[in-house]
Amino acid sequence: MGDRTVNRLVILGVAASDAHVVANQLIAMHLRHHGFHVVNLGACTPLAEFADAWAAHPDAVAVIIGSLNGHARQDLDGLAELRAAGRIGCPVVVGGNLSVGSTKDPQLRQRILDLGVDHVLDDVTELVPLLDTLGAHIVEVRGG
Amino acid sequence: MGELAALELDRRVLAELPDWSDIIGHFKAAGRPSVVDVLRAADRTGRPAVQPRCGVADHAAMLHLLGELEQADPAILSVTIDSHTRLKQFDTAHRLLTTRPADLNGYPLVAHGWARGRELVSSVSAPLEVRHGSPDARQLFAITAASGITSFEGGGIGYNLPYSKNVPIRDSLRAWQAVDRVCGELAAEGVVIDRELFGTLTAVLMPPSISIAITLLEAIAAAREGVRCVSLAYPQGGEVHQDVAALRSIRPLARRYLGDGVEVFPVLHEFMGAFPRTTGFANSLILLGGLVARLGEAAKVINKTNHEAYGLPDAPANGLGIRTTAVGASDLFDFVTLDEDRVAEEAHWIQREVGELVEPVLAAADLAGGIAAAFADGSLDIPFSASAHARSAVVPRRDRAGAIRYGGHDGLPFSASTRRRNAELLGDQPGRPLIDLVSEDIFYFIGKESATSAGRAR
Repeated sequence: MGDRTVNRLVILGVAASDAHVVANQLIAMHLRHHGFHVVNLGACTPLAEFADAWAAHPDAVAVIIGSLNGHARQDLDGLAELRAAGRIGCPVVVGGNLSVGSTKDPQLRQRILDLGVDHVLDDVTELVPLLDTLGAHIVEVRGG
Repeated sequence: MGELAALELDRRVLAELPDWSDIIGHFKAAGRPSVVDVLRAADRTGRPAVQPRCGVADHAAMLHLLGELEQADPAILSVTIDSHTRLKQFDTAHRLLTTRPADLNGYPLVAHGWARGRELVSSVSAPLEVRHGSPDARQLFAITAASGITSFEGGGIGYNLPYSKNVPIRDSLRAWQAVDRVCGELAAEGVVIDRELFGTLTAVLMPPSISIAITLLEAIAAAREGVRCVSLAYPQGGEVHQDVAALRSIRPLARRYLGDGVEVFPVLHEFMGAFPRTTGFANSLILLGGLVARLGEAAKVINKTNHEAYGLPDAPANGLGIRTTAVGASDLFDFVTLDEDRVAEEAHWIQREVGELVEPVLAAADLAGGIAAAFADGSLDIPFSASAHARSAVVPRRDRAGAIRYGGHDGLPFSASTRRRNAELLGDQPGRPLIDLVSEDIFYFIGKESATSAGRAR
């Protein structure tokens, strides 16, 4: 209790219409294993809750939003406004299965980026290397 | 109505229920075996009772489904409740029942009411259990009791953490305490309700000692309210020695922590994780479930179906699941014996781990407070929690034999020897990303299926 560990903090969650818990917990596990402190907001997280979490942890390296049910565009609608209002001040990373159906729209990545996302990932193995490039903020987190 | 008072029901809800003496009288006049009678009989014969999950929204369709499944000769039948009713969205359930019943994923018992519940009970010879997933099941339980249904699944931990994102554990424990108090009142009148506790939890790589520790704590809480019969359900993990050892550990652990005043039945839930897709492999896993239940001396086994990988089963698939499970539990496989030394060693360590998990919680003056505090500080935890009220810092992994071990256990109060044994059994981990290794463990049976000719030929 009370001992302090230096750690990089990320905010993680699944998009508002998406209940995929297991993939979310696997990614949390993966990030913790790589030394990140994970604030996991879990499944079905509205954008406003990501903003509230950033307000509570303004030193976060990134907000990471998973979307596996193919409704990323709908769930991320409103992100640009939140960012313009300064309510998420760190990079936003989105990954998962971003549209319904097995044929992918080549324009989709750009459309997601246009919603106010900084990085779109195709594979979870890209996540830690990306965060390492974003990891300038070293924050102190109370351990125990 | 004093005897239902613990449920703190709305006056309008109470007004529609039969009075207490009618509820008791209806149970006693049923003239048919209750779930506890069936469990006792299964225990005597050493052949576990087989029970399917089943629930459709429309009343006539539900009667028809129960009738169809009864032809497969299950010992107990289920009334699986829809998600809206589980979350107390009774108005939504009622509206969908009249407009789009196909949008309900179970039978909305509260919307139908207790008179129809009684019709379900009298339509089949097997006794019924209500299965759901409610963090607060007080109103559902009142209708269940008024229906004359003699078994009710759930508990303040197991029906919260896998199902709800943000219900405080204290709140769900308090709601279930009320249900258990009424079960205690019924027991005092001679009506024994079987209370099944959902140790399957999130159904993904659940370490046996977490499953049993949690159902044991719920059982202790229930017994303190007067519950006289508990079924502790354990999810088939996939490694036979570990599964058999876990099932056989339930009674000795219950004797140690629960005493003799409560009847305890071990229950197996057939594999609840990522299910094989081919008919042959799926049926074989279901058969294995019946065998494991019998070898583990379970009183009951809940069957799966070969539709599991695709969604809710239809009646013929469910009937086949019941029959296949019953064959697995039959004397056809009495020639199968296990390495009993290996089972005993597993059982020793499961019981030790469970002790290490529950004893600090039981030392708290107030059990519900102790449970909530333990989840808050991570000394109790479950993997893959849907709820924000468990940390999910546990990293479950399979060892080379397929048994589920602790690859990481931040916060769990394990002894040095428990930690050492888990680490030794997992051995050196391949130098691949943890997320890939855990995913492979989750998709264990699908991996095995792909490796067989049946899987390749698909």
